Amino acid sequence: MVKRYTSMAYKAADDMIFGKSVYPVKAELGLEVGAGYVTAEVNYAPRPEAGVSKEKLVSEYRRLTTDIMARAVQVGFPAVSLETEHVEQMTNNPTWGGEVAHVQKTILEEYHEEYGIKCGLRHTPGDIREDRDLLALIGAKYDTLMESFEAVAEAGADFLSIETMGGKEILDYAILRNDVPGLIYGIGCLGSIDMTMIWSDIRKIADKKGRIAAGDTDCAQANTAMFIAGGLLDKNLAHTLAIIARAISAPRTLAGYEAGAQGPGKDCGYENTIVKSITGCPIAQEGKTSTCAHSDVMGNLVMQCCDLWSNESVEYHAEFGGTSVQCWSESLNYDAAMLNVATETGNAKMLRDILVLSDKYRDPQGYVLAYDNAYKVGQAIVKDGDDLFLRAKNAAISSVDILNAADSKKLVMSKFEINALKDAKASLDAMTDESETFMSDCMEKYKAEVAVFRPDANYKF
Amino acid sequence: MDIDPSKILIRYNVQKEKAQSPEELAAEMFPKAEPARTICAAIFDGEEDDVIEGLEKAIEGGADAIKLIDDVLMVGMKIVTDLYDQGTIFLPNVMMSADAMLEGIEFCKEQGGSAPKPKGKIVCHVAEGDVHDIGKTIVAALLRAAGFEVVDLGRDCPVDEVIAAVKKESPMMLTGTALMTTTMYAFKEVNDRLLESGLKVPFQCGGGAVNQDFVVQYELGVYGEEAADAPKMANAILAGKGLAQLKETFHKH
Repeated sequence: MVKRYTSMAYKAADDMIFGKSVYPVKAELGLEVGAGYVTAEVNYAPRPEAGVSKEKLVSEYRRLTTDIMARAVQVGFPAVSLETEHVEQMTNNPTWGGEVAHVQKTILEEYHEEYGIKCGLRHTPGDIREDRDLLALIGAKYDTLMESFEAVAEAGADFLSIETMGGKEILDYAILRNDVPGLIYGIGCLGSIDMTMIWSDIRKIADKKGRIAAGDTDCAQANTAMFIAGGLLDKNLAHTLAIIARAISAPRTLAGYEAGAQGPGKDCGYENTIVKSITGCPIAQEGKTSTCAHSDVMGNLVMQCCDLWSNESVEYHAEFGGTSVQCWSESLNYDAAMLNVATETGNAKMLRDILVLSDKYRDPQGYVLAYDNAYKVGQAIVKDGDDLFLRAKNAAISSVDILNAADSKKLVMSKFEINALKDAKASLDAMTDESETFMSDCMEKYKAEVAVFRPDANYKF
Repeated sequence: MDIDPSKILIRYNVQKEKAQSPEELAAEMFPKAEPARTICAAIFDGEEDDVIEGLEKAIEGGADAIKLIDDVLMVGMKIVTDLYDQGTIFLPNVMMSADAMLEGIEFCKEQGGSAPKPKGKIVCHVAEGDVHDIGKTIVAALLRAAGFEVVDLGRDCPVDEVIAAVKKESPMMLTGTALMTTTMYAFKEVNDRLLESGLKVPFQCGGGAVNQDFVVQYELGVYGEEAADAPKMANAILAGKGLAQLKETFHKH
């Protein structure tokens, strides 16, 4: 039985800042995350053709790791962290991921030894628990996934992470139908149940191997919503709906911490400021320097409370300025240097607020995720922290209330966004407050409507 | 600290929003005669039950169930997809309308005892090794909404299965989606195997990490940047456009 969060880690939203967390974590090669400074977290993807064999993949990661470290010392950066998000071959074959982690950690150790640069290595096995026809969260694939965590932890990965898929079969259906109860059921309930299971086991592995169970993200769902929503002129999903999905994702990500995660949370969890307000654990974030991977509408704002600053992912290839990982790691490191200067000169809160105001009114998503509002969503979650359904519903209601209370001359929403918000509120108002009723009703409804939702096979319900 | 944001950003979506609501615009496009008008409105609203009720009344009134598919259901769906293409309504509206229309088609087929000839057949799949299929789901729904028959091979689809399906179904177009750079590599193999078999079917590729630079590396590949490009590409093929013309039209970068 895990202990749920029922209180906030920070007394006030204004206490939250980049580079500092209530509970910093320390990696093996001198890197502390959340201990007073921001560090770049460099992400990368192998070229498509590198996936054909273990040898090619290992070679690819050896080259790109060396490139990143070489650039870091060339430009004089004091710390850097790397994240390897597995391609499926590396997780399905745990020895592949293990060998990549070993090669990377060895390079980091060499640079640490020679230059004293502080380094960290995150490995993120892929969530392989999906068959062709359905999510198979428990069973043989789960066992392979845990073997993968064991292998990378044994080989030296400091931070263990994953982007879990629990609840996605419902999200994929609900998000295309403006179905708010479906978002709460998929993300807030099913996702949190799965998170509780998997993070308990990841923490056991981390403890056994002396590593850090870092954190998860609702990439599979809230980011799906954000990407479908797209830019201002895209017509695929109201941005007001996307931020409701995001708010609901915070209690899901929180469930990982309740089951043993310690941070740093995963970069693409745009819900992380909400989560940090509750846990006090360090977080990674991505935004203006992850445009190599995707666009968003809050690129500066999301730096507000980051402890690691990431580029999300870039394919390894040549650019005019070196290899892609060198170029993007350099940009990240300069961003981190700027944030750290603000801290050293006593201007951190000023810079934080400038970053926030750059994007707070750009979009409903950024408005709700601005740290002052994110904190309010956090408070709504912990109010019913022991009830997975209610806290997810609270998060949704809170995000709707925040948008409805916004100054309409500053946060200017389209009629479409306002109508979507109105529909969402009506849907939330019509929902029960009874967890058991909601769960059983949803079970029946989605079993009938979603062919790939087979809870006995998916979740062993 | 706060700011007047008007000097640092512009919400162009608000600026560009049409004065008329989507409902008003749709109402102007619905057929004037009943029961077509009511059925089209039910499709626009995504109300399956109302669609069926409207169809029942029409059949009771002597309408041919199979003819209703083309004469009413497809007309209603076209209004929805036209409004989507114009940027007036959003994707969830299209999905819900498509659900309602497809239910209506099934009802008409049951009542009429036969099925109308679709505009063309398209095979859709997600690359081998890739389980991310929401993009394919959207593509398939938009194609069906546009009157095409979709053979959906699902996600994580082995290359052998794709080739076998193309041989069996003889589609006018094949689509492939992938989220990850490593899985999209399977598209090249699909292309090579199709060419080996002498099957020069246009192969629309898109999704996540897929980009035009990658797709132009293989002969049959046509890059689809948006899911909404899929029905446009299929219609272009129906209009007689070949691979070179498709690339000319859809390769935007």
